[in-house]
Amino acid sequence: MSLVRTLGKNPRCDLYLDLAQMISGILLVGFLWTHMLFVAVILLGPATYDSFARFLDDYYLSYIGIPFIGLVALVHVITVCRRIPSRYQELWEHAKLVRHTDTWTWLFQLVTALGIVILVMIHVWSVLTGWPIEAVKSTERMTSFWWFYIALLLLGEYHAGFGLYRIFVKWGWIKRKTIGWVTKTITIIIVGLGLAALWAFLQLGGAV
Amino acid sequence: MANRQLTFNIFRYNPTNPKDKPHMQTYQLQETEGMTIFVALNMIREEQDPSLMFDFVCRAAICGSCGMLINGKPRLACRTLTKDLPPEITLLPLPVFKLIGDLSVDTGTWFRHISLKTEAWIHTDKEFDPRAQEERMDNKTAYDIYEAERCIECGCCIAGCLTANLRPEFLGAAGLNRVARFMVDPRDKRSAKDYFEVIGSDEGTFGCYGLMACEDNCPMELPLQQQLAFVRRKMAWAGLKR
Repeated sequence: MSLVRTLGKNPRCDLYLDLAQMISGILLVGFLWTHMLFVAVILLGPATYDSFARFLDDYYLSYIGIPFIGLVALVHVITVCRRIPSRYQELWEHAKLVRHTDTWTWLFQLVTALGIVILVMIHVWSVLTGWPIEAVKSTERMTSFWWFYIALLLLGEYHAGFGLYRIFVKWGWIKRKTIGWVTKTITIIIVGLGLAALWAFLQLGGAV
Repeated sequence: MANRQLTFNIFRYNPTNPKDKPHMQTYQLQETEGMTIFVALNMIREEQDPSLMFDFVCRAAICGSCGMLINGKPRLACRTLTKDLPPEITLLPLPVFKLIGDLSVDTGTWFRHISLKTEAWIHTDKEFDPRAQEERMDNKTAYDIYEAERCIECGCCIAGCLTANLRPEFLGAAGLNRVARFMVDPRDKRSAKDYFEVIGSDEGTFGCYGLMACEDNCPMELPLQQQLAFVRRKMAWAGLKR
């Protein structure tokens, strides 16, 4: 180890970064799943959806939740970036040379991460500029940009599902096969819920 | 399946010869009953090309010398039957390790380095008395130590590992499994804090991406995920406790 690294490094730095990556990741997965449950409230009708959105608004839950999740996402981006090698071709060459499924799923997690960063920024911007959340506005967004939301849903769920799987694999709390099965099942349910919500919005918009 | 005509694409390169360039060479071979890659390589060397370099000693998955990339997967040549493979077989040397020539790599230097770095021997201040009866150990502890000791140091876990390929200083599953072995040994007096100084970083336990190529490629089928997780939990706890 070089002198600069020895002098300048907190010996627990790597541990803290790893924990920050894990905790922010778990919080984001939790947020994503809750978010999808909230969106699925549209299945109970636009009136319920509106009053639920108003409830979150009235009790300032949106105003606490959105900046908090933004901060968590920032921590996650910063901590996962240290996993990305400076030369991308090394990753690609390794994945091609050594045939291994989990290596490819991780590589694709990196790709989905880049996609999510871009799409989420557009999504957050479009929601915040159209504040508050109402069924009419959501329907308008969904009917015009359904392809955008399908992409975001699939990318997000893929990244979150495999990310959670990997955390459990690394810490070994549950058997690898079991956790793989559990995360896949939850992911399929959440994707199904998201698609159902989208279908409900499209119906409200008269597109179906 | 026997009696197939097998095509071997084998990596050829002699780093000691300045005129040599890395290239793939093709060999044809008639498949025989119960043929392993080890048998096939010996036949090629005896009948077709005496210059072909590859390692083997025991031909029984004990010595760990014949690890190589067989159709992209780190495997032992002596343990891989040709009947489980398609008729076209590509052989490459294990990545990460220093290439000696063709399929032969130097795993010894790498493993010696991790042995020294993790001080892979019992640390105790007890004086050894050769006449005293051996200390007792409960069965579970002995089993846990034995399980980790089954590692034959073939290097398949390191070759398949993304982190080990990207970061030369990473200890890898073989190194962390070795540490786990001493962590459970009651004769070793090192504390969790002592271990944290050596492996509580990205060079050690926190460098793992969790892709588990190590476990998937281990020819001895060691429970490497559980071993890595055990070390990670122990080190996280030691780091947080101060």
